[in-house]
Amino acid sequence: MRIAAWVIGAGAALPGGSERAIFRCVEPTDALLAARLAAGDDHALAEAFDHLAPTVYGAALRVLGEGSAAQDVVQDVFVELWSHPDRFDPAAGTLGTYLNLLARHRAVDLVRSELRRLARQARHHRLTLDGHDPSPGDAVAAADTADAVRAAVSLLPDDQRRAVELAYFQGLSYREVALATGIPEGTAKSRLRLALAKLETVLDRQLLESS
Amino acid sequence: MTADRQDHAVPTGLRERIMTASRQARPAGLAVPQITPDSPMEAFSNAADAFYQLLITLSARDWHLPVLRDLDVQGLVGHLVGVERDVQRCIAGDEAVGSANHVESTQPVALAQAGRAPAATTDEWREAIDRTLAMASEADLDANVAMHGVALRLRDLLVARTFELWTHENDIRAVAGLAPSVPGASTLRPMTELATALLPFGAAFTALHEPIRVHLVLTGPGGGTWDVAVGEPSPEPSELGIVTDVVGFCRLFANRISPADLDVFVTGDSTQATSVLTAAAALALD
Repeated sequence: MRIAAWVIGAGAALPGGSERAIFRCVEPTDALLAARLAAGDDHALAEAFDHLAPTVYGAALRVLGEGSAAQDVVQDVFVELWSHPDRFDPAAGTLGTYLNLLARHRAVDLVRSELRRLARQARHHRLTLDGHDPSPGDAVAAADTADAVRAAVSLLPDDQRRAVELAYFQGLSYREVALATGIPEGTAKSRLRLALAKLETVLDRQLLESS
Repeated sequence: MTADRQDHAVPTGLRERIMTASRQARPAGLAVPQITPDSPMEAFSNAADAFYQLLITLSARDWHLPVLRDLDVQGLVGHLVGVERDVQRCIAGDEAVGSANHVESTQPVALAQAGRAPAATTDEWREAIDRTLAMASEADLDANVAMHGVALRLRDLLVARTFELWTHENDIRAVAGLAPSVPGASTLRPMTELATALLPFGAAFTALHEPIRVHLVLTGPGGGTWDVAVGEPSPEPSELGIVTDVVGFCRLFANRISPADLDVFVTGDSTQATSVLTAAAALALD
């Protein structure tokens, strides 16, 4: 393909690169990084990881206290950033804060999911007289997180601990928890919400102390 | 970026695992939100519609404002009538238009507009556009064509014409005191594809021989990320990252701004970046 100047207008660059304009250099900012991510710049993702992954990993570890699950959370967080960079609003805070919050929420979701799993497991054992034992690998993998969660639950105030045990370990509904403990259904709900919020904090502190 | 929490050493291998998972979720280079780019015909038609909307809002005084070279607005529209006629000759297989000069070939039609009613010039231009669209719709868009010293596929010629219409629309807007216009993202996308595809030729035209692998990131709707090799072929080219706004880059490509007017984030040699940006403007259409 022969390429020649179609028509070079006034002020056009001269052949030989003799024109040496100086552009305006911009500094890297979170807004620029988000714009680069939206444009599909994977170098920007690598830069974000190199700069922020240690704190994101730390945020996940503080909730989960377990390396493998925390790594999964870090992966979720960065894949989310790459897939939906528009969800980060630079006007609302720094990218570091956004990713740390995302990591914390994902980690707490994992804890909640583990509580639900424990509840299902307890229900299953109650209903199945000759249930099969889990594989040794599964048992070891679940044990660390389960122990941490059970320890955290034991530290809750009595009324909240009782509500969590009924709802998550025995699988009762809000209404059934309310009936079993003689409190209104709304109170049961708020007691469970308070308990979950406290669990997040307790798990944080407990895991920090053990690390 | 601010590290506002306690850091922990990241396990070995996590970076690679996350980069791989991310690229599986969305391939590198693919901008979000995703858009469906205009076809070359759509892009050209959209640019023509925008130009027409501008023409019908101009005042009688606006039509006589000096705008480009020795042309007033009406003369510039006449120039575009001449360009359409040459495009039609090109599609029809007239080889002489391949070596015709962009200005000399169209100047008689441009000068012939003097003294005519602006509406007559507008109508003549619109009819010429419609004729180009009708001929292109019957033609093989992948056919190689040559016009005004440029050889390229017909589909690329239509996108180049999209650039020209948008550029001249904004030439007129500037002299009439109107705000500049920006094409929609779906129209900008084929324009940026063409501009980045021509970057190596712009580099050759400006004698930029140094082998450079340019990681070009154009931000904003219609933008994207491209890896473009410029200069002499080499197994180990220099790596250069350039990030700038997509509309600014298109204005640079149209030679309506200089690199000095652009906000650019560079990783690599800034002198090379200046050379590459200068090359981007070297194949400007007027």
